Amino acid sequence: MNEIASVKKNKFKISSIIIYTFLAILVVFYVAPLLWMLFVSFKTNSEVFDSPFGLPKALQLDNYKVAWTAGKLGVATLNSVLVCIITLVISMIIGSMAAFAIGRMKWFLSEYTMVYFLMGMMIPIHCVLIPLFIKFSNYHLTNSLWGLILPYITFSLPLTIYIMAGFFKGMPQELFEAACIDGCSIYRIFFSIALPLAKTGMFVTGLMTFVSNWNELLLAMVFISDTNKKTLPVTLTYFVSPYSTNYVQMFAAIIIAILPTIVVYCLFSNQIVAGLTAGAVKG
Amino acid sequence: MDKILRDKKAICFFIAPGIILFTLILLIPICQTFYYSFCDWDVLSSPEFVGFANFKKLFTKDKTMMIALKNSIFFMLFSAVSQQFFGLLLAVLLTNVKRGRNIFKNIYYLPCVLSSAALGLLWSFMFNQKMGFNQILDVFGISGPMWLMDTKGFIILPMWVISFVAMWQYTGQTMMLYMAQISGISESLYEASYIDGAGKFQSFKCITLPLIKPMVATTLSLNAIGSLKFFDLVYNMTAGGPNHRTDVLATHLYFEGFQYFKYGYASAIGIVLLVLCLTVTIIIKKGIKIDDYEM
Repeated sequence: MNEIASVKKNKFKISSIIIYTFLAILVVFYVAPLLWMLFVSFKTNSEVFDSPFGLPKALQLDNYKVAWTAGKLGVATLNSVLVCIITLVISMIIGSMAAFAIGRMKWFLSEYTMVYFLMGMMIPIHCVLIPLFIKFSNYHLTNSLWGLILPYITFSLPLTIYIMAGFFKGMPQELFEAACIDGCSIYRIFFSIALPLAKTGMFVTGLMTFVSNWNELLLAMVFISDTNKKTLPVTLTYFVSPYSTNYVQMFAAIIIAILPTIVVYCLFSNQIVAGLTAGAVKG
Repeated sequence: MDKILRDKKAICFFIAPGIILFTLILLIPICQTFYYSFCDWDVLSSPEFVGFANFKKLFTKDKTMMIALKNSIFFMLFSAVSQQFFGLLLAVLLTNVKRGRNIFKNIYYLPCVLSSAALGLLWSFMFNQKMGFNQILDVFGISGPMWLMDTKGFIILPMWVISFVAMWQYTGQTMMLYMAQISGISESLYEASYIDGAGKFQSFKCITLPLIKPMVATTLSLNAIGSLKFFDLVYNMTAGGPNHRTDVLATHLYFEGFQYFKYGYASAIGIVLLVLCLTVTIIIKKGIKIDDYEM
């Protein structure tokens, strides 16, 4: 009996060693490119080729300074932050209002409205690019941050509405009845009872919205040509080119561009995962 | 109570901003794209209805379109297969691992939240002629290929490289979704199977696989549609080059529409893309029958 147990234990150990080695190799595979980039961003251009895999001899902070000013990443970061925050706030408000009407209120079109919004998840942004570009240039919305914010809000709405409607549906009926008896209007019920209770949902959807809009490239590239209005991914795309030779500054620029999302991810990875799974269930 | 929840005015108030925005920015433009795709229209002229001429040109005369279509479909198949395989493998391995599960999980998922524009640039340096991988190969005395410039073969090397990077970036998402699904399976099912003498592999085949079937449909359509829409990585790694050999549908649309300003023609590409997305979704939805099990 004892023998069997020890054999089983051994077998278990070997298999778990194999699994852990495999997982560890994958970690290297995932982290190494990012670390390499980090190291290169602190090197000098000649160091990149003399000691490609070593640690930087001295931290060349100038790389970041140049990227920030000459590469115009400073302006771009500000634009990105502005666009993301405004989009976040507005899509949150509009989205949860619609979600409340769909998830909680009683009317015969609510199901269809939900389907209408969810259709937005299926439609690729590329398909509306040309008409939007034409329309927006007529209204002077190209080369303006609002021209980005409006479509960003629209494309954030399906996920927001889907997740928030789930939250509102899950709230106990008694809560609303009590509020109703106390003479709350429907607007008051929404803004001071339902909305504060759906905080977790708002947080989760907010993170998803932030991440996807922070990374969006195509729309921003098409709509914005004024250098002072470009968002971070666009500025990066123009600043960094494999054919120019100032490698270290470009690497610094890439680091600057992804750092905010890394920070957000480290702080809130659990909520981001929750948002992903909640949003994907419907597909 | 009921009366308050049926308040028409309030419903309109809540729903109106979303509906208006959606109609203006999504529904009307989609219809316009549809119309424009039947028009001959560039930046200098006004739209002129020409019927199916754009589509005819797309599928018979446009060589780049053929390349883009081929690349997009290759890209979709490669992403779907590789991400399904590795995503599921990682999810199963990680649910069986106790220590360090969260750390592993978070590391594998990290690239998904980063900008593919930035990561595309990073990988274009990794596969640069003089840097990255070729520096590693140099250590072993091998001179590496021109990863992103090679043009030999039916599916050229740069497409494999881009697909590989896409796999690197997005496998974490599939893994995450599978993990969520697997963790919803009740532990007692597994216990019962072990008592009945099933091994780990058997319980995986007979319990895990059937129960994650709904997630297969979801992740598969996410993989497929995500890779059909792909723009950032391709644009930043090769910009469609060399000589449009790595164009995918999205980059082809971008170049036709916003470098050559052929609006009508680009709209037709957009419609092809949309039809492709819808077809794939429908095939997946119809192809994977979901049986209801009790979890």
